[in-house]
Amino acid sequence: MLEIRDLHAYYGAIEGLKGVDIQVADGSITCIIGSNGAGKTTLLKSISNVVTRKGSITWNGQEITGLKPTKIAKLGITHVPEGRQVFPGLTVRENLETGTIGWHGFFGHGRYEEDLDRVFQLFPRLKERENQKGWSLSGGEQQMLAIGRALMARPRLLLLDEPSMGLAPLIIEEMFKKIVEINRVSRLPVLLVEQNASLALEISDYAYVIEQGRISFHGKASELRDDPRIVAAYLGQFAGQKGA
Amino acid sequence: MSMFVSLTINGLAMGMVYALLAMGLVLLVRAVGSLNFAQGDFLMMGAYVSFGYIYMLKMPEIIGVILSVITYAAIGAAFMVSFYWPVRKAKWSQAIMVCTLAASMIFKDAANLIFGTTTKAPSAIMPGSLKIAGLSLQYQYLIIIGVCFFVILGVFTLFEKLYFGRMMEAASQNKYAAELIGIPTILTMAATYMISMTIAGIGGYLVAPIFLVETTLTKLQLRAFAGVVVGGFGSLKGAIYGCILIGLIESYSTYVITTYKDLVVFGALLLTLVIRPQGFFGESIAEKA
Ligand SMILES: Nc1ncnc2c1ncn2[C@@H]1O[C@H](COP(=O)(O)OP(=O)(O)OP(=O)(O)O)[C@@H](O)[C@H]1O
Ligand SMILES: [Mg+2]
Repeated sequence: MLEIRDLHAYYGAIEGLKGVDIQVADGSITCIIGSNGAGKTTLLKSISNVVTRKGSITWNGQEITGLKPTKIAKLGITHVPEGRQVFPGLTVRENLETGTIGWHGFFGHGRYEEDLDRVFQLFPRLKERENQKGWSLSGGEQQMLAIGRALMARPRLLLLDEPSMGLAPLIIEEMFKKIVEINRVSRLPVLLVEQNASLALEISDYAYVIEQGRISFHGKASELRDDPRIVAAYLGQFAGQKGA
Repeated sequence: MSMFVSLTINGLAMGMVYALLAMGLVLLVRAVGSLNFAQGDFLMMGAYVSFGYIYMLKMPEIIGVILSVITYAAIGAAFMVSFYWPVRKAKWSQAIMVCTLAASMIFKDAANLIFGTTTKAPSAIMPGSLKIAGLSLQYQYLIIIGVCFFVILGVFTLFEKLYFGRMMEAASQNKYAAELIGIPTILTMAATYMISMTIAGIGGYLVAPIFLVETTLTKLQLRAFAGVVVGGFGSLKGAIYGCILIGLIESYSTYVITTYKDLVVFGALLLTLVIRPQGFFGESIAEKA
């Protein structure tokens, strides 16, 4: 279980998070919804320790606040960053291979053929594009690759930053189905950050709403879906448009 | 005919030495995003260090070479700690490049200070020449070609084929994503500096008997720059082919003129920039992205 208490994050004088408390239960999908600049990305960056922050973050009871990003990745907390960030000059297969570094080590001999097969089964498109360079993939394919790379890390918690960003509605739905599948197959907990609130709430067990660096609502996703305040601000016909 | 063959051998040998410099240059550009103006000084230091071990400390050649390679790697790491690390977060991104200019001056002064200002003349690794079919080819050039071939192949294989190289490549393409997935980018970067210095140093050791050991050795760096541009900036393969081309052009030009061969080399560079600014051998531009 991931537990975040009183988390503050800073970009120089700007305070990106102003005291946030969040829990991600084992085996669950937890989502954070919020509009542009609310602090969603900052929250995930704080977990991975790539931004200045203070507060407490524990992973299965272990305090991880002081650990370096690579150390946190090694624990199995795998972060799929906003905008996919695949390695442009590496092929699809090579991109996937980089995901193994945490458990394989530079000079290790661990085998990852089975991991590769599993990713290719989940995303057959990646198999077809195995030897194509990262830069040449479409947005949706890059997102699959970014998630696939994370799965190669044998994650124990998956942090997903706006997997729907810039994708066509049909592709988004497919992507979300895959996220559910990933979660169900191995009970892998997922912390999903999204602007697309309606879809995120649909697949999540628990949800938080973040506004200007603070959590304004939280509860079971099914309850938030019916909450008139959430509907008005994030699910209304017009509210829904702004995320697209 | 025999003139042509020996010019080809000499040009190939020098081109491959430029390639050692150029590969390091490209690897560093990819890893830290800025040009290293001390690359020629890496080569010069290489020549001094091996001269120091073999002629000043009078070690057997093979021991001297092994110690030199270890020293090269150490200098590479020290270079990163002193000229990259302190400025890596500087607001002005070109600060790293300016630091390499400073490093270049410091290297030259250090060489004069440690080894003295007199020009040193190491003898050829294997004196004499190979005489076949009416040709006379200096062994030194043949050795340069052989050693460079294996070093170039080794570095190329490391980056293109091996797991460790793949991680280095990933880290240089997107440092942020690499960190998030768990690649220790400090280590991959240190390895890049060590490899860059080591292969340049080996180049210095190889050319020392031809050009003698003095601080002007650094000028070979300009040939490497030209090779990188002609080959296609950012690509290892391009750097290798481009440098060999420069080496050959330079060598053939001595058949006609000896004093103005710089003019020929940089003429080729300018011509490339005019007719094919992306270089001749690089993979497609988007590859670097
Ligand atoms: N590198 C930075 N420097 C300064 N301020 C930043 C930086 N990154 C983010 N911020 C600020 O922190 C706040 C939160 O940003 P964050 O990126 O976490 O938003 P977000 O919820 O992910 O938004 P989006 O949905 O657009 O991705 C914003 O006000 C933003 O301007
Ligand atoms: Mg964001």
